[in-house]
Amino acid sequence: MIKDNEYEALEKIVGSQNISREPVILDTYAFQWCAELLNVINDKPPARYYLRPAAVILPSSTEEIQQIVRVCNKYGLKFKAFSTGLGPWNCVSTPRTIQIDLRRMNKIVKIDTKNQYAVVEPYVSGAQLQAEVMKFGLNCHMPGAGPQVSPLASATSMAGPGFTSASTGFAGRNVLGVEWVLPSGDLLQLGALGQKNDPDWFTGDGPGPSLRGIMRGFVGAKSGLGIFTKVAVKLYPFPSKPEWKISGESPNYKFEIPNYLKFYIINYKDWDALTNALRRFEEEEISFMCYYASRGAICASFANSREEMFSYYSIHTRLKRPLTLMIGAQTEREFEYKKKIVEGLIQETGGKDYTKKIKIRDVSYAEALRCLLGFHGFLITGCFQSTHGGMDTIEMAIRMAKLNAPIKRKFIEKGGIADDQGEGVWLATYERGHMAHCEMPTMYDATKPESVVGWVEYAHACDELDLKEHLGIPFFIEGDKQHEWYGPHCMNYHIWLRKIKEAFDPQNIADPGFYITSKKTS
Amino acid sequence: MTLELKKLADYKDIMERCIRCSMCKWIPQVQIKSWKYAQVCPSIDEYNFHAYSGGGRMIIALSLLTERIGYSEELLNIVYRCTACGACAVSCKYLNDLEPLEVIEALRKKIVEDGEGPLPAHKKYMKLTEEVHNPYGEEPSKRLDWLPSDIKVSKNSKLAYFVGCTTSYRRKEIAIATARIFNKAGVEFQLLGEDEFCCGSPILRAGGEAQVLDLIKRNIKAFKERGIETIVTSCAGCYSTLKADYPRYVKHDFKILHTSELLEQLLKEGKLKLKKEVPLTVTYHDPCHLGRCSEPYKEWHGEIMEPIPLVRFPVPPLPLRQGTYGCYYPPRNVLKAIPGLKLVEMERIKEYAYCCGAGGGVKAAFPDFALKTAGRRLEEAIDTGADTLVSCCPFCATNLQDAIKANNAPIKFYDLTELVLKAMED
Amino acid sequence: MTDLQAKLIEIVGEQNVFKDEDVLETYYKRYADNFLVKSPIKPKLVVKVKKKEDIQEILKLANAQNFSVVPVSSKAVDPNASDAPHSENTIILDLTEMNQVLIVDRKNRMCMIEPGVSFGQLFPIVKKEGLRLLTPLLPACNKSVVTTALEREPITIPRYQWDSSDPLLCTEVVFGTGDLFRTGSAAGPGTIEEQRASGQAQKNPLGPTQFDPFRIIQGAQGTIGIVTWISLKCELLPDTRKILYVQAEKLENLLDFLYTLLKRRFGDELFIVNNLNLASLIRETSAEITKLKGKLSPWTLIIGLGGRQPYGQAKLEFLEAELNDIAKEQGIQLLNEIENISNEDVIKIFDNCTKNPWKLRYLGGSQDIFFLTTLDKTPRFIDTFNKIVESTQFSKDDIGVYIQPLVQGCNCHCEFNIYYNPSDTNIKQKARELFEKASIQLMDQGAFFSRPYGIWAEEMYKRVSPVVVDSLQKVKAIFDPKNVLNRGALCFKEESA
Repeated sequence: MIKDNEYEALEKIVGSQNISREPVILDTYAFQWCAELLNVINDKPPARYYLRPAAVILPSSTEEIQQIVRVCNKYGLKFKAFSTGLGPWNCVSTPRTIQIDLRRMNKIVKIDTKNQYAVVEPYVSGAQLQAEVMKFGLNCHMPGAGPQVSPLASATSMAGPGFTSASTGFAGRNVLGVEWVLPSGDLLQLGALGQKNDPDWFTGDGPGPSLRGIMRGFVGAKSGLGIFTKVAVKLYPFPSKPEWKISGESPNYKFEIPNYLKFYIINYKDWDALTNALRRFEEEEISFMCYYASRGAICASFANSREEMFSYYSIHTRLKRPLTLMIGAQTEREFEYKKKIVEGLIQETGGKDYTKKIKIRDVSYAEALRCLLGFHGFLITGCFQSTHGGMDTIEMAIRMAKLNAPIKRKFIEKGGIADDQGEGVWLATYERGHMAHCEMPTMYDATKPESVVGWVEYAHACDELDLKEHLGIPFFIEGDKQHEWYGPHCMNYHIWLRKIKEAFDPQNIADPGFYITSKKTS
Repeated sequence: MTLELKKLADYKDIMERCIRCSMCKWIPQVQIKSWKYAQVCPSIDEYNFHAYSGGGRMIIALSLLTERIGYSEELLNIVYRCTACGACAVSCKYLNDLEPLEVIEALRKKIVEDGEGPLPAHKKYMKLTEEVHNPYGEEPSKRLDWLPSDIKVSKNSKLAYFVGCTTSYRRKEIAIATARIFNKAGVEFQLLGEDEFCCGSPILRAGGEAQVLDLIKRNIKAFKERGIETIVTSCAGCYSTLKADYPRYVKHDFKILHTSELLEQLLKEGKLKLKKEVPLTVTYHDPCHLGRCSEPYKEWHGEIMEPIPLVRFPVPPLPLRQGTYGCYYPPRNVLKAIPGLKLVEMERIKEYAYCCGAGGGVKAAFPDFALKTAGRRLEEAIDTGADTLVSCCPFCATNLQDAIKANNAPIKFYDLTELVLKAMED
Repeated sequence: MTDLQAKLIEIVGEQNVFKDEDVLETYYKRYADNFLVKSPIKPKLVVKVKKKEDIQEILKLANAQNFSVVPVSSKAVDPNASDAPHSENTIILDLTEMNQVLIVDRKNRMCMIEPGVSFGQLFPIVKKEGLRLLTPLLPACNKSVVTTALEREPITIPRYQWDSSDPLLCTEVVFGTGDLFRTGSAAGPGTIEEQRASGQAQKNPLGPTQFDPFRIIQGAQGTIGIVTWISLKCELLPDTRKILYVQAEKLENLLDFLYTLLKRRFGDELFIVNNLNLASLIRETSAEITKLKGKLSPWTLIIGLGGRQPYGQAKLEFLEAELNDIAKEQGIQLLNEIENISNEDVIKIFDNCTKNPWKLRYLGGSQDIFFLTTLDKTPRFIDTFNKIVESTQFSKDDIGVYIQPLVQGCNCHCEFNIYYNPSDTNIKQKARELFEKASIQLMDQGAFFSRPYGIWAEEMYKRVSPVVVDSLQKVKAIFDPKNVLNRGALCFKEESA
């Protein structure tokens, strides 16, 4: 509960229309994708709602956020930031926590076309940013979660794998200058932005050690160490001619595929051949996208309905270990060069060009450019969530996929998770194949308790597999319980992480539920 | 989704399956062409809390249904601060199959059934409609006050011009233009006059299902008694109500046409000739109820199968109203046929057009919100470089013109029929 | 023998602890004359270590006995004097003999090396495996590879620098507390051997989980932890090469073309040097440098292209044709060679190191001023610097300029080299005056000294928000609470211990 005087202090900052403690509003922040999983993980019934915040507040500026955070400090309230807000880690995790909904901070502050970066506020979406930067022939990285989510959240606070990561990297590595409200309410500006003379966004490191080091890690601190109010993210060249011509009516859109863009589905007979192919394609530095998605996932990505997806699935039984590739070019010459390399590599790696056998609509190109392919996954059961997520080499990612399949099949047999024959895998390469991550999108029914429990049990087995087989740390190792489980197996990192929390937020004013808790609380 | 009328409880499964992805707040993702015109929901654009989105209202409905929350003034305000424009549903269903608009409508019906709503402004017009058959409280005898003496009306025509309350009493210029065009093009039509009752749209949008059912029955009876086979309306609200909503309550076989459809047909048949130059740069606003909301509901008799455990599969496939078959091209084709007129498009058009802000009972209950929304739409229109904004709905016309006036906006507004008439005049 | 010396001998053995004046003097000389060092301090002891366990023990001792430890990994003199003690009570931890190349992994394009591994040692080993290192411009052969990566020194191939931290990947580190830690995916689960058996190669620098300790260690000048190995990102070694050039009278005339190349991700090595620096890179003696410099345009953009079999030739042909088209469109003359410089001359400065440090070739002494900015701002800084050169009456002919685009073109390293004859005290004094004045004025103009060595640190931290300093000090207090690591460096003054 929030007391009247506390509420009034917050109301004074943003005005009465921008704060609420009405249950009807609060409930809409408690309901989340996968909240039911979190409830089960925390030994609660599998409800679609997690905790209700004590209040929701809508600041419009960094200064207002600083004031809000200071009020929280004054009254011992906690806060949890929220931008586009997809996923249970956006929920508050403890009572007396206010949700700071950053929706009103929705500006693209700057697009530096020469130095290839954009500065964005929390509620700019990936699609919005892409639409604006492509006017200058540029592109932005978008996470697999889709174009509707916040690039700021992805860059500062979440794991950031994406379908185009081969050429647009990992969100956490695309960060330049950062504006950050610490749990104390102080404003921390990273890198050149923090200097008094001509502050600028082009770097977020230094002087001296980079404070990005305490900012996010691999998976993001989920507002557990403050609120990011602006971030400069690196931009990338748009992969083809930056044209976007789309006609027709939903869902039958027709996309005029811009010049010099091409999808390939290249089929490999086994994991080894796929491993080699992923490596070789990336070594030649030609891809816009380069990933492995299982047969089912490919069928889902290119289908507009369940019926279509299943009809594809029954047709394409010859797809074994398909590599999905997209190349793009600025000129005819570049396009021809890349196509020639692809042809050579298909031959060299023993692949079969399956592209023409799959019905790839022109709009799938738009969806690929806009990072919307992953969203097709929801067509099937209406809900999925991934397990695993570790990132290192292509070989490790493939090994993870191989080792996971029998475990997944076991849980499919038990009946909790939907049957994808244990094959549901998305494995993406990063930065020209220097890294790869693997996750197992796993379909379940969020409305059926036994399915929710089934997913949780399966996910736990996945986490155990990663520990036992040394497959990296999964995405969802966050919060005290998980950290204290994994930490002792990983250099006791949780001790150091907790020290950071304690140094910057001893009283846990920034909701620690999806980060780590300071034990210094008085 | 289907012809079948459902109660809120019937949507529980849909509400529980919302993934809170917020697609409902944006135009379909592949249509986004700028930062400025990426969003689609007037309600959340104005009020910002998630509760004010399509998905947010589904959560509220679920919370109410499962008694996590009870009725409150705030709840009613949130539920009714929505123009029921259906844009959320189009965006949601691009890659999913939930029904936020239907849930909102079912929620409003429940509120009314429970005696908790609608809001006083809605109650007022519902009462007036009951008393004088129009929500404005105007005298039924004045319904044809707009009719100029030189207009030829054919009492026995099988084609009726269903003028609609707003056109009859508030946007007479549309009725006049429509009637004159019909006369010039040789289209015989009858008018119902005092016998024309409200189509029921404003009542239905506010959740007054019981009242609307009486109206529907009465209107269908009146149409039949007059030997009407084709109903033409120049009002988008009447159009979608007659075409999409009526069959859910009472099946009928009247042909429902919007004036733009008839005009397009007349052009094709050479019965309508547009010769006079109208040198305007025009942008066209798709009324929600002429566009995405006019798509008829379809019958579905099937069941949800689980061929693979946990994978739900409606057999046969469930028909989805995705805005695919709204009336988008007839108005545009008519505009394109006007000599000297240049049509430029806004970014948000057709099934993902931004609402003018008037619908769903908002203009009556929250006029400021309605005006602000229209202001946003005007900005988009002005950004096209157009000097003229055109639409096909008297309700949109009123709200957009109110906004032009309030903002002193550098743009003129015309109904499609007014421009057609200009192009026909000697 | 002091108690400290005895305890150190107990840890590393007598042969590895040095207190002789001449040994201490050798270390002292490395930085004593550096303009960055205000008041040079001689170390109390020098300790050579080879094992991480010894480092841990020494740091625990430092915590117990309150002395400062400065790690040194390079045999080469550091032009930035990062190994200069800032505290009276300092021992040097010499890591130069901790120099094993632990892993070279062609498949995963990485290597794992200890801090004492030098460029001269590593280049042939990785080349043999078909790999290339991402290095600073023609490094000294006896320079530590680990140090350059830890110090965020600029690399010459911007398109391979996805993040400012590249090419540094994972690290093993002993924090100031004496605790051993591994960063990134190397943290686990599993030992390095177990990870490698599972297919991993310590490639992901991020994490573990929700923090990136490697970023705190990097750029810290040894104030957070002492690194015992790093994994380093490598690229594939080209077997077909071509160098292209653009020359200009004015720097501004090169920038649009360079921006286009960066946006298209064309070119491997990609940087701008002035005529003096180009000559210094290509020629070995002062006379040859002077001669060549006179024949060169004031500014040269160097573009290295590379490809590998079986597609190398096709790649080079495609790249050259594209570059020619862009050059034509922008009215740029793209040269296949410049007078008196062969393609081989330039190629040899890549994927190579030198025993004759190129900045010392011209006059024997050099002091560098460098900072981060963006390419479009560089002409302004150059103008400022030139005005200061004039005002201090330093010879403008003895100034080198090096502009290195970084992080795929998002920013750049801008470097001025003040060349002087170290035995001419008069000139040296002028050089120092220029150095000090220019450093301050450039900072005042917004030059971002992201690597603030020596006297720069105090000036730089005065010019950033106090929240930055406070945050850094909080971080320091976590990993080195007693301030035993390079005490006094950066914003970690003695009193902040």
